Amino acid sequence: MALMMQQFNFFLSQILFSQINVSEAPSIWSAFKRPIDISTYGHLSDWLFDYITVSITISFIFVCAGLFGFCYYYSAKRNKVPYYTYGYKKAHLKITLLIGLVVFFAIDSMIAGIANKDIKEVFWKFPTADENPLHVEIMAQQWMWNFRYEGSDKEFNTDDDITTNHILYVPKGRKIEYRVSSKDVIHSFYIPFIRNKVDAIPGRVTRLWVELTKTGTYDIGCAEMCGTAHYKMGAKLVVMEIEDFEKWQASANVLAKNGSDPSTVENYWGWKWEKQ
Amino acid sequence: MTYAHDIHPAPTTFLTKYVFSYDHKVIAKQFLWYGIFFLGIGGMMALLIRWTLAFPGEPFPVIGPILFPHTNGVVPPDTYSMLFTLHGTIMIFFAITPILIGAFGNYCIPLMIGARDMAFPLLNLLSFHIAVLSAVLMLASLFLPLGGAAGGWTSYPTLSTLIGSPGAGQTLWCLSLFVLGVSSTMGAINYITTIIAFRAPGMGYFDMPLTIWGLWLTAILNALFIPVLGAGLLLLVFDRVFGTTFFLAGAAATTGGGDPILFQHVFWIFGHPEVYILILPAWGMVSDFLSFFSRKPAFAAKATALSMTAITVLSTLVYGHHMFTTQMSPLLTQTFMTLTMTISIPSAIFFANWLGTLWRGSISFDTPMIFALGVVFVFGLGGLTGLYLGAATTDFYLHDTYFVVGHFHYTMAASVLLGGFAGIYFWFPKMFGRMMNETLGKIHFWITMIGLNGVFFGMLVVGYAGMHRRLYNPFVYEFMQNLIPLNTFITWSALLMGFGQLPFLFNFIYSLWKGPIAVENPWQVGTLEWTLPSPPKTHNFDTIPTVKCGPHEFGNPLLKTGRDFQYQTEELVR
Ligand SMILES: [Cu+2]
Ligand SMILES: [Cu+2]
Repeated sequence: MALMMQQFNFFLSQILFSQINVSEAPSIWSAFKRPIDISTYGHLSDWLFDYITVSITISFIFVCAGLFGFCYYYSAKRNKVPYYTYGYKKAHLKITLLIGLVVFFAIDSMIAGIANKDIKEVFWKFPTADENPLHVEIMAQQWMWNFRYEGSDKEFNTDDDITTNHILYVPKGRKIEYRVSSKDVIHSFYIPFIRNKVDAIPGRVTRLWVELTKTGTYDIGCAEMCGTAHYKMGAKLVVMEIEDFEKWQASANVLAKNGSDPSTVENYWGWKWEKQ
Repeated sequence: MTYAHDIHPAPTTFLTKYVFSYDHKVIAKQFLWYGIFFLGIGGMMALLIRWTLAFPGEPFPVIGPILFPHTNGVVPPDTYSMLFTLHGTIMIFFAITPILIGAFGNYCIPLMIGARDMAFPLLNLLSFHIAVLSAVLMLASLFLPLGGAAGGWTSYPTLSTLIGSPGAGQTLWCLSLFVLGVSSTMGAINYITTIIAFRAPGMGYFDMPLTIWGLWLTAILNALFIPVLGAGLLLLVFDRVFGTTFFLAGAAATTGGGDPILFQHVFWIFGHPEVYILILPAWGMVSDFLSFFSRKPAFAAKATALSMTAITVLSTLVYGHHMFTTQMSPLLTQTFMTLTMTISIPSAIFFANWLGTLWRGSISFDTPMIFALGVVFVFGLGGLTGLYLGAATTDFYLHDTYFVVGHFHYTMAASVLLGGFAGIYFWFPKMFGRMMNETLGKIHFWITMIGLNGVFFGMLVVGYAGMHRRLYNPFVYEFMQNLIPLNTFITWSALLMGFGQLPFLFNFIYSLWKGPIAVENPWQVGTLEWTLPSPPKTHNFDTIPTVKCGPHEFGNPLLKTGRDFQYQTEELVR
């Protein structure tokens, strides 16, 4: 309980003192940028986004050139006599099929290839035991995020688990694996700063890993519509240097052990961490 | 084999003529009014949503205090959820579907293929009246004690089960869409049968206007996939009413255990084809109009028809791209991603054909044509932005953000809406025997075009900046503070777009009574409906025409008739 209070105070101070600078109204153009990237893999998403942007801009320039160009040069005023094609021409079918294939091989199959590779080599390559990842269990509920860390016994759902809500403390420079589930409806664990999200689904455990590169406090959101207060189902991600994180973990561990109350069943919402 | 109806005597009483009519042309108009009515309601809801996003906590002007007296005109958060749920539902099922499929399907199919009516006129009559019943159920759900459905138009369980939505509004929402599904299925079966069996003698499939191709493929998808949605909704109703647990799992399921993800599979097996159900009629019309107003044959029309068919087939195989973040197995994710990307082949083909049609044409910019050109532009943007969402790497970031909202509004809302308007301006003279005003039509086009690009491009940008969907007040998040000005801009664009519909409404209603009398063939087009008087007789054709050439015979230099086009009933001049 003490721990909960401590966190609540911390959360309040976060809100009160990290004041947003309202005196200076942001310009409309400030929306044309992504949040900063604090992960080791966010650049993959950003890179592919930019790659797609370039590809489709080129395609769209062709479309617009055709659309506006032909409308201009072949308007009824300029071009009185339209070109007649005498039925369907084989050559036209060939040209059009060629354009289709060029677009597919030059743009789409490239994008699919890159994304396939990213999935295989990054997003679905979960950290192995010898990388010593931090394990965190996340239970979503209307409308709050609950986080659970294993205690010194390296087991989940025991008395010395550290549990927090609203604030997710994590170290920089160490791989973290989240396992996510939900108590009630589907939520989605979304951190814009790592360009990733995973749904929190009742009855299932989904996984997401990340390694962070910048310390600081960042927004976590719930991306899946989950009811009236969906819009404020946020949390804060607090990224700390490894030493600071370990200090926090040690003290929180003691607090957790002292404050644990085996009679409150609802505190034991965790589950056994299974190897996958 | 072709069949022809006998000529029945025209109905004489008001009821049989305008309410319980078997005439496909009257049913088409009924669907048109129905669709325009709901377009207005859905549009108002959009404005309420946009107002809340730009000016959180401020009362909606004028009608706000009437609608929400308890909060002095501010949209409350639970109402906000109902608004976006019903905005989506109404726009998709009660505005676009009735206009594009109900109105144009009914009006164009028999007239353009040379039939006296639909294959099953009674089914057609029932299809409209069942759609009315469905609308009554949907509107009634708003007046229940806990209000209407509020789980999004996707109504994912477990939010849409009793766990997240205890009110009866959600049940009624499911039943309403189930009933509407019955209506759509009836219509679909009717369309498919009519096109297969009632084409005029001589009309092969490739002699059909591309509008008919679009409507036909839409009807096929409707007949196949609306029942899938119906099944899913029925299971959801069972979970809500009879205590089954098809979609319940985890701590929330007291007995047994289903899977909420099962619903997503069922929903998107229907949901992805639904996008094409809505857009195919518009594609067909655009393909025709570009040829009609360029006064030259549609470029590689066969390829356009075949690539629309290819898309129809592919659309059934890609639905998993809506579920990447549910963490399907990597194999499924990769399969769906790769299949999704193949859609670019047929899409690129008909885009090339559209431009090929304009190439070396003699283009006149009448209102239907500028709307059709508008479709090419906005569908280009909509289709291309789909690439970001089809690739899992970028989808993990963009899924459930406004980027998705912007993307599907470009494809489903902007393109379909512009296509629908093009159709209304084009067939209005045939439907009502009067012309609409061209100047007002062009004003309507430009305001709509500027407004919608402001709205939907703005949505793409705020989504790119990370703003997620369905937020009553996004600005409780620190990282979205810089998005306030752009959200305000989007809202002003939406208001502009909303007010831009007033010239249309005025034009439509004024022209019904006061528009200049339309001649038989104002656009100088050769498809079969333009051989008939405007408006046509109840039985359409005194004698069933014989078709001798394709629908796009323009600009043949050998023509000696003084016209630059051939009617489909004329032998092709070579
Ligand atoms: Cu949530
Ligand atoms: Cu899809």
